[in-house]
Amino acid sequence: MKVIVANNMAPFMWGGAEELAVNLVDRIRRRGHEAELLRIPFRWEPVGDIVAQMLAMRAMELPNTDRLIALKFPVYFLRHEHKSMWLLHQFRQAYDLYDAGMSHLQSSGRGDELREAIARADQQSFGEARNVFTNSLTTSDRLWHYNEVPSEVLRPPLNDPELFTGGHSDGYIFAGGRVTVGKRQHLLVEAMAHTSNKVKLVIAGPPESAKDTAGLEKTIERLGLGDRVKLDLRLLSRAEVAEYANRSAACAYIPFDEDSLGYVAMEAAEAGKAIITTTDSGGVRGMVQAGNNGWIVDPTPRALGEAMSAASQSSSLAKKMGKESREFWRGMNITWDYTLDRLLS
Amino acid sequence: MKIAIVSSFVPFVGGGARNIVDWLAVELERRGHEVETVLLPFSDEPSLLFPQLAGFRTIDLTDAVDLAICIRPPAYFIKHPRKVVWFIHHLRTYYDLWETDFRLTADTVITRSRRDALRRADTSALGEASRIFVNSTVVGDRLKKFNGIESTVLYPPLPSDHQSSALEAGDAITYISRLDLTKRQHLLVDALALTTSNVRLVLAGKAADESYATFLREHAENLGVGDRVTIDDRWVSDEEKADLIATSFAVAYLPVDEDSYGYPSLEAARAQRPVLTTTDSGGVLELVSDGLNGRVVAPTPAALAAAMDDLYLDRETTAELGRKLSQSVSELDISWDTVIEGLLS
Repeated sequence: MKVIVANNMAPFMWGGAEELAVNLVDRIRRRGHEAELLRIPFRWEPVGDIVAQMLAMRAMELPNTDRLIALKFPVYFLRHEHKSMWLLHQFRQAYDLYDAGMSHLQSSGRGDELREAIARADQQSFGEARNVFTNSLTTSDRLWHYNEVPSEVLRPPLNDPELFTGGHSDGYIFAGGRVTVGKRQHLLVEAMAHTSNKVKLVIAGPPESAKDTAGLEKTIERLGLGDRVKLDLRLLSRAEVAEYANRSAACAYIPFDEDSLGYVAMEAAEAGKAIITTTDSGGVRGMVQAGNNGWIVDPTPRALGEAMSAASQSSSLAKKMGKESREFWRGMNITWDYTLDRLLS
Repeated sequence: MKIAIVSSFVPFVGGGARNIVDWLAVELERRGHEVETVLLPFSDEPSLLFPQLAGFRTIDLTDAVDLAICIRPPAYFIKHPRKVVWFIHHLRTYYDLWETDFRLTADTVITRSRRDALRRADTSALGEASRIFVNSTVVGDRLKKFNGIESTVLYPPLPSDHQSSALEAGDAITYISRLDLTKRQHLLVDALALTTSNVRLVLAGKAADESYATFLREHAENLGVGDRVTIDDRWVSDEEKADLIATSFAVAYLPVDEDSYGYPSLEAARAQRPVLTTTDSGGVLELVSDGLNGRVVAPTPAALAAAMDDLYLDRETTAELGRKLSQSVSELDISWDTVIEGLLS
């Protein structure tokens, strides 16, 4: 079978969606199909060009192709008799961001008109699709709320689960992922002041700005934690990330109100590590059954410090909870096997 | 510099036009540029031509990149203030092939209007380019003749890291190319039946249409040469290709009025094997001259058979022709340094 995975692109911009698209193509090929990634340039501005770009998708042809899997606006307007959507998000500027007064469409003075045109086109396009999948409950909820289109949630699996083998613990708490205020690594550093000398923390990931790096360094110095907190702030290779996770005692991931389960938490679970998260971390809470495979605590230094101490104190407890963590995660069946079964059905 | 390479493609069909895009990207990156490849799908169905042109036209890369290099038609319909075209061929059925059997549509007032409208649109879109290069003098001449546009030749090289194998020349003449009516593998099967030596023939490459591969096999059987011809209907990797050529005493390449000398000619030169081609093969004749670095004969079974016997029997001359072909490539200055210097000038 010949499968096209379609995504939009802005030259030289690369993020989670791009990574997912590449992996999807790779996984489809490994299943013995032919697959190609189609990336069509799209620009949000000037807003006057948006409708023309939507129409352009209708004009494009996909010869010699058995299946189309479209990930985003506006590439899902491509015509194909066997089109499935795996919606990573709608054009939020026309929906929830518009309602929140945070859309660039409004400033054009023709916002209402544009928004209606987009909603109408979306409606038609969703109707053409054989299947509509989304990447999260949030996306599905929005799709139902704004377009009354039912959809099935297909959470993106880990792109490289085979790297997260787990293994012997070196005793530290690992906090991976992008380093930024919203992910609150600073809170973990502050929590360290409430733990015993035995507890160690490793923070590794790409900082969003130099300010994020400086902020963490300053807190560590102020609290005198230099010998117990290690910072490795850069874009690490996937193997390096996995190495940190595999050798940790437990993993901490405490973003503020995350949409999804969070790759960092999924990686921790795959590696068989207990997860520390907070009551306001949104979707990440779905990865943790408190007391069984991790901790869900208040987003305060003291509460986090207690959880980190507990995870560091008893290696047998950490090990047991880590095992539960992997089992719980595996039970969710968020795998490429299942994802492809659904996407290609 | 931030550079976009823009081209069109038919999903799941490989070949020269995709190679040139991939290889150019690698060579630009090797020289320190940032490169984004924009490949847009294109169907050659005549009734869908103009909607697709409109689709291409809405792609606007202004501000996203410093330079857009456009390769396969209709890539040059996109918008960018600094658009450089490396023109590799027209949509030929509307140009030089219009007066031939390859037109594929009836000559009616509608199809003729479409042809003329395309020619005007091409001329206008190409007119926006800051520089126009072609891959051969044949294509340059056509551009001058049909669109009144002047151009500069930039010969496309093989990737600089391609290796050739040093192996013993065997008893076969090899033709590695898409199995296709316009590449005329059938002429060689006809010729093989008229040879008087024990020369063997290898035809390797993916058939665009499987029925042509089937026809070739049956035809060889009917002519009683089934045991002297190998027909390998599949995509051939670069390594295999190098080995296949190295173990042959000569390479055949006889497309109908080809746009350029073609990669098979360059691959032959790299292995120091001569090329057997025909007087009507177009751009191939820019590189290959009869008796100098290959054989150029009439496109008839009898003439091809005589040349195959000559090449097979007089191995000393054949080896000398092969060495000369390799020299000719250097003399024509076919190199990536020349190409990139030109494109960025």
